[in-house]
Amino acid sequence: MTEAITISNLTKSYGINVVLNGLDFCVQQGEIFALLGVNGAGKTTSLECIEGLRKYDSGNITINGVMGIQLQSASLPGHMKALEAVKLFAKWNKTHLDQTMLDALGIYEFARKQYYQLSTGQKRRLHLALALTRNPDILFLDEPTAGLDVEGRLSLHEQIRQLKAMGKTLILASHDMTEVENLCDRIAILSGGKIAFIGTVEQLGETIGRHYNITIQTDRRIQKYVSDNIGSSLLSLLLQYKEREESILDIQIDRGSLEQHFIKISKGV
Amino acid sequence: MGAFLYGVSLQWKLDIRSKTLLITCYIVPLLFFVIMGGIFTSVMPETKYTLIQSMTVFSVTMGALIGLPPSLVEIYSSDIKRVYKANGVPLYLGAALANISAYIHLFLMSFILYIAAPLAFHAELPENPAMYFTSLAVFIAVSLSIASIIGLAVKDPAKTPMFSIIVFLPSTMLSGIMFPMELLPKAFETTGKLFPASWGYKLMTESVFQFENLMPLLLVFILAITVCTILLRRIDQ
Repeated sequence: MTEAITISNLTKSYGINVVLNGLDFCVQQGEIFALLGVNGAGKTTSLECIEGLRKYDSGNITINGVMGIQLQSASLPGHMKALEAVKLFAKWNKTHLDQTMLDALGIYEFARKQYYQLSTGQKRRLHLALALTRNPDILFLDEPTAGLDVEGRLSLHEQIRQLKAMGKTLILASHDMTEVENLCDRIAILSGGKIAFIGTVEQLGETIGRHYNITIQTDRRIQKYVSDNIGSSLLSLLLQYKEREESILDIQIDRGSLEQHFIKISKGV
Repeated sequence: MGAFLYGVSLQWKLDIRSKTLLITCYIVPLLFFVIMGGIFTSVMPETKYTLIQSMTVFSVTMGALIGLPPSLVEIYSSDIKRVYKANGVPLYLGAALANISAYIHLFLMSFILYIAAPLAFHAELPENPAMYFTSLAVFIAVSLSIASIIGLAVKDPAKTPMFSIIVFLPSTMLSGIMFPMELLPKAFETTGKLFPASWGYKLMTESVFQFENLMPLLLVFILAITVCTILLRRIDQ
């Protein structure tokens, strides 16, 4: 696999506040990669340095391909219509309007609406379309589904998957762990200006340890347990319930969410 | 070039959709023209010789100083500039398009006054129309360059009208379009000469080209463009 983005030893400080302290990571071509971190971890600064929107102090950034950027906080002149904006950006970038892409994003539903009349979801879709007008190989999506309802969120997830299927590399910054878990091939967790973890969601679970949540519902109550050894724990729990003569109605076991793992890594637990 | 022309036509449409620019470029100047034109020509009949020029200086000054800055503040003090930069659109484009579109609107408004003043108030047409329109073209460009400084320097949309008025009021009151400059106190006369409106008015009322009236306008224009370039570079960083 070829690397779409290579970051080495990236540093950035604001005064005495060191935000990026020797950041190193690579993003492979064609993958969906998520950058995670608690507020102030340096996620947005990293993205903006890579995107060329912010100057960095030292380090190297290598980008193989054209970038398209959907910013988290974005705006357009209030009286500009959606399709006019797409045409302006496409003309300026000397690319042709991809009707299929616009159709897939549902731009034609609100093509003649002025920007100030658009809903949050429509604005997000429009800014994604603008990012795609450069026909980018690498697409940056900063909190792409923030403020969207469930339907809008699912629709955008589908579009992100389609973009991956088209061979595009996607770099995502998100606070929505379910989204990251469902969409991303690999994730990187930022902590203290450095990469605290990089790998797949499964690898994250293995790094933290096999961590199981057990929920047992009986005819009297519902109780939750956490265990690192599911085999022995479950057997022991079942024996305890038998001794107490409680009838078990339901047992649920899950491996702990990405959110729980993320918090552990971010806090250095 | 195609992208740039599309941008100009798009900005022209945006300006028409924006009620602010319609009001400052057309409605208020026309209203001022109807009221003040009637008053000036009945109180001082000799003003019919300079009515087109005085009404035009007022309209251009108002359209430029009050109309243009909000469009620039909207682009450069918001996330719009980041969206432009992030998606390969150069940062100067917003300012360039807004200026060109405003230029066309102001020229159109001036032409309406040129046609309407003789019909409504028997105003005299300038002796040398070619020189008049050349002077007008220069004056609009200079007024817009000053307005661009306000639009690029002021970050708060709520404060923009305040800064515009600070420049607009002395420009119109001390330029000689309301009262002859010779009748003003010396200090006001000198202050009036600091604003392009007074030189624009002189240039447009002359029937023979006077380089000394053009010189201050050119100097102000060059200075304003330099300041705008510096401001745009700062915004870019």
